[in-house]
Amino acid sequence: MTPEQEAFLAKKKEKAAARRAKPEEKANLGITSLMDIVSILVVYLLKSYASDPIVINPTAGQKIPMSTADAPIQDGIPIFVTTRGITFDSKKIVTMTPDGDIDPSQVQNHLIGPLYDQLAEEVDKAKQLAERQNKPWTGRVILVGDQDLKFSVLVDVMYTTGRAEFSEYSFCVIRKS
Amino acid sequence: MPRKKMEEEEIEANLLPVMNVMFLMIPALLMAMEFAQMASINVSPPKFAAAAQPKDEQEKKDEKPLNLKVFVMEDGFRVSADGQQEGAEAGKSQDSKAPTIGLAKQGAPLTDYERYDYAQLEAKAKGYKQLFPNEQVVTISAEANIPMQTIIMTMDALAGRTCKIAKALKGGEKIPDECLFWQPIVEGGAS
Repeated sequence: MTPEQEAFLAKKKEKAAARRAKPEEKANLGITSLMDIVSILVVYLLKSYASDPIVINPTAGQKIPMSTADAPIQDGIPIFVTTRGITFDSKKIVTMTPDGDIDPSQVQNHLIGPLYDQLAEEVDKAKQLAERQNKPWTGRVILVGDQDLKFSVLVDVMYTTGRAEFSEYSFCVIRKS
Repeated sequence: MPRKKMEEEEIEANLLPVMNVMFLMIPALLMAMEFAQMASINVSPPKFAAAAQPKDEQEKKDEKPLNLKVFVMEDGFRVSADGQQEGAEAGKSQDSKAPTIGLAKQGAPLTDYERYDYAQLEAKAKGYKQLFPNEQVVTISAEANIPMQTIIMTMDALAGRTCKIAKALKGGEKIPDECLFWQPIVEGGAS
């Protein structure tokens, strides 16, 4: 073994010893910036939700009318009325004809039977709840309509909700910017 | 031959460029999102009309009610106040053949929501408001085929398209002067 080789081996051993002696370092992930972003997002989203106490999720293909009105939506029971059907409590309960009228078998003298049944059930529940909480029951219904919804259908829905003891109505609209 | 021992090296991922990109992407995506601001128009059916317009001042009690009614027809608006239709023939309370305000776009389909002359309707509402400053209620009715968007735009024109009422409703402030007839009553099948 030449002196160079010996020197090389000695150096190698030294390096190996130094490596073994080195304590294991723990990797730290810097999450400060991530936390900043998350904090900003949480505040932003909380503010967005706080300004709109009622969240309206339109049904597929529904075009909510546009308006210059700026009154906030008050608490109430939403009914989604489109040219294809009436949805209540996430269930499509009334179907429409291709012309956008209510299926004649489901309406009689402006009273929409399936909708009335569902609303009557909901009113009973809401009244019982209000009674337990010692609060007066105010029947407010939020009509989430469609731009092309016929006035005759709107009147039938209002008549039916009125028969189910709802006395206050709000038309849900999208605020024009 | 001795096996070459692989040297284990701790590789630390440099997250800084990724975080920079993320930091730019988040506001960009938030700005690209479309938020639909929801609002509501509170309407009353005819039987609750009296409750919708409380009159607590003596001045209001003495005032004769306007009873403003707007009927949306396929060929325009028919406006009547105190049972008398505007533009009706002499001696007649109503003349259903002619609308008070004709269409802005003649021959446009019903789905063209701009076919009505909302500016003229708003001007007429302003005229009535000057005569009856305490009146807020208007009865709106329409023909069966009139789309909801037209009804809403009619309500907007009658309320005043610059009317911002949210603060007044929330904080009990005075109703702004720009607000005309902002309490609509929807009546079915009226004529």
